[in-house]
Amino acid sequence: MSATAPLFVIQPTSGWRALDLRELWAYRELLLIFAWRDLKVRYRQTLLGAVWVMGQPLVTMLIFTLVFNRVAKFGGSEHVPYPLFVLSGVLLWNFVSGAIFQAGNSLIGSSYLISKVYFPRLVVPLSNIFVFVVDLAVAALLLVPLMIRYRVTPPLAILLAPLVVVVAALFALGIGLWIAALNVEYRDVRVVVPFILQLAMFATPIVYPLSRLPERYHFLILANPMTGIVEAFRATLFGTSLPVGALLWSIAASILVFVGGAFYFRRMERLFADVL
Amino acid sequence: MTASVAIEGLSKRFRIGAMREDYATLRDRISGMFRRRPKSPETREIWALRDINFEIGHGEALGLIGHNGAGKSTLLKILSRITEPTEGRALLYGRVASLLEVGTGFHPELTGRENIYLNGAILGMTRAEIRHNFDAIVAFAEVEKFLDTPVKRYSSGMFVRLAFAVAAHLTPEILLVDEVLAVGDIEFQRRCLGRMNEVARSGRTVVFVSHNLASIETLCQRVVLLSRGKIEQIGPTREVLISYLSRRGRDAVVDLSAFSEREGEGRARITGLEILTADGSGPLDAIEFRSSFRVRLHYRVHERVAGASFGFGLLTTNGERIFITESFESGRTFDLEPGEGTVDCVIDTINVLPGGYRFEIWISDIPGVQATDYLSNIGEIEIVVSAEAADHSVTTLTSGLRGVVHLQTTWSRSR
Repeated sequence: MSATAPLFVIQPTSGWRALDLRELWAYRELLLIFAWRDLKVRYRQTLLGAVWVMGQPLVTMLIFTLVFNRVAKFGGSEHVPYPLFVLSGVLLWNFVSGAIFQAGNSLIGSSYLISKVYFPRLVVPLSNIFVFVVDLAVAALLLVPLMIRYRVTPPLAILLAPLVVVVAALFALGIGLWIAALNVEYRDVRVVVPFILQLAMFATPIVYPLSRLPERYHFLILANPMTGIVEAFRATLFGTSLPVGALLWSIAASILVFVGGAFYFRRMERLFADVL
Repeated sequence: MTASVAIEGLSKRFRIGAMREDYATLRDRISGMFRRRPKSPETREIWALRDINFEIGHGEALGLIGHNGAGKSTLLKILSRITEPTEGRALLYGRVASLLEVGTGFHPELTGRENIYLNGAILGMTRAEIRHNFDAIVAFAEVEKFLDTPVKRYSSGMFVRLAFAVAAHLTPEILLVDEVLAVGDIEFQRRCLGRMNEVARSGRTVVFVSHNLASIETLCQRVVLLSRGKIEQIGPTREVLISYLSRRGRDAVVDLSAFSEREGEGRARITGLEILTADGSGPLDAIEFRSSFRVRLHYRVHERVAGASFGFGLLTTNGERIFITESFESGRTFDLEPGEGTVDCVIDTINVLPGGYRFEIWISDIPGVQATDYLSNIGEIEIVVSAEAADHSVTTLTSGLRGVVHLQTTWSRSR
């Protein structure tokens, strides 16, 4: 027996475990290198990457404008014309749903790594978020010509938009972590996720302004944490009114979902390599 | 000698069927909440490792051998922290790096340079360490000219060289290696082995799993022989290797009488499989590359089968068929009367490369048309290169990039 204390003890664990942020910090380089890899692969063909990232929301915006604005006669909110209104919503929604989907599948997508090397598994879903942040930033450039065209001047609060994105990222990651861990236990989860995400989009004021709904249903939509986030995003971009209560609820819910998701993920983590 | 790794009562249990049958899907789980289902008795438990105890000294190179399924990989995975033990513990007195595969996480779209950083980080190197070793890695891999080419355009040889080069420059106190030398050309394999030797001699602890007994012998001072999740033998390399090759397995017959995943109409059933020395004098635990050996099939007949032909084939662990042989091919068929019996087949020279393999076995009365009995993916067997038999060309042979069979060839200049 060695006299010195072991550097690490491998033994069975069970139940809930600490998040071990120190270890996660020690693996920050791996996290960044995964993010860098994903970005590099995504934007390797610079033109194609950017075309896809901007083209998809652009086309979605045009279709939604045609269907919901021209046909269904939905308007924008306050002084914001519908195309701008719907584009901002679509951008943020793509970010959140993409990040949820990616984080939810991250373990399955990286099973070849998980069964061969040790690292804190949280690194995988956490690193995934960066690509979506960059995609959002690139796609957000679409707003510039539209805002000029419709003469919408951004308020000073636009500087706070990144903070709103942080809340959105926290929320998306939180949900993604739950899904990733559930995926390991129940194999049908990932089949349901795209469907739920699609439904959730209509439970969020993406294609319609909240004001279009009868007042008595507002609480339902406002209970959805995404509502506060999307509305706050628009408020920072266009200076529309900010639903403070909804935003506070969104922040609280995002933190709860994220922390809960991280703990659940840690709890399930030790099974990942055996099940994948 | 101070311990670098201390393993105390380590066990790992896999529950086969637990996840699959109890609550396979969320839908089942939800419907299960409303009616209490009896727990499935089908849940089978398999101890991949059972009460493993040993210590690895600081700076020691330890070999780990045993059949496929003996628990080598599971042990390595536990020590690498990829999977958790069910019981017991392992104390690690140093930083661990594991090399269970060459090129883990390599991305085909990224260049060689980028993959060095990516793979290095995955294996646990810091960016500073990688930068510091960068030139040495590139030189070792001999890929200078292709550093900025995506690795998807690399030849498999280049890919492997680069991947190993990154791994070879890991500097952990404890290095766990699983059969990664089984790739690349002979010259490169020799350099890898040399590099591993250097690592071991530089005072680092190396745990090395391989089917290639010759490289185990070159590299390791001590060997642990695992069998069915338990330590069968532990001791000086030579001693363990010799007894591994000549050992008379206690239960050499693979009992197949309860094996349920079989096809065929079932008038006769295969009940056991034995691998014996060519003269039938004793069982073999592993087959030596290029040696001859005897396969004995045990059967039970329920209803008369006239003109039965026995056959078997060898499969890779991925289930690809390497060869088959049937008794009717050599003009032998058998009339089977109810009762039990055995048939033997002697293989003169096995030129299948060292590695782990499985069998498929069958009985048929109209060969190739309908099977009386058919079983597949059974009886794991190792083909090994013994240290004595190893000449220069054979020391580095293992299935993998070299394919699965080795041919005796004669080359000459024709003009």
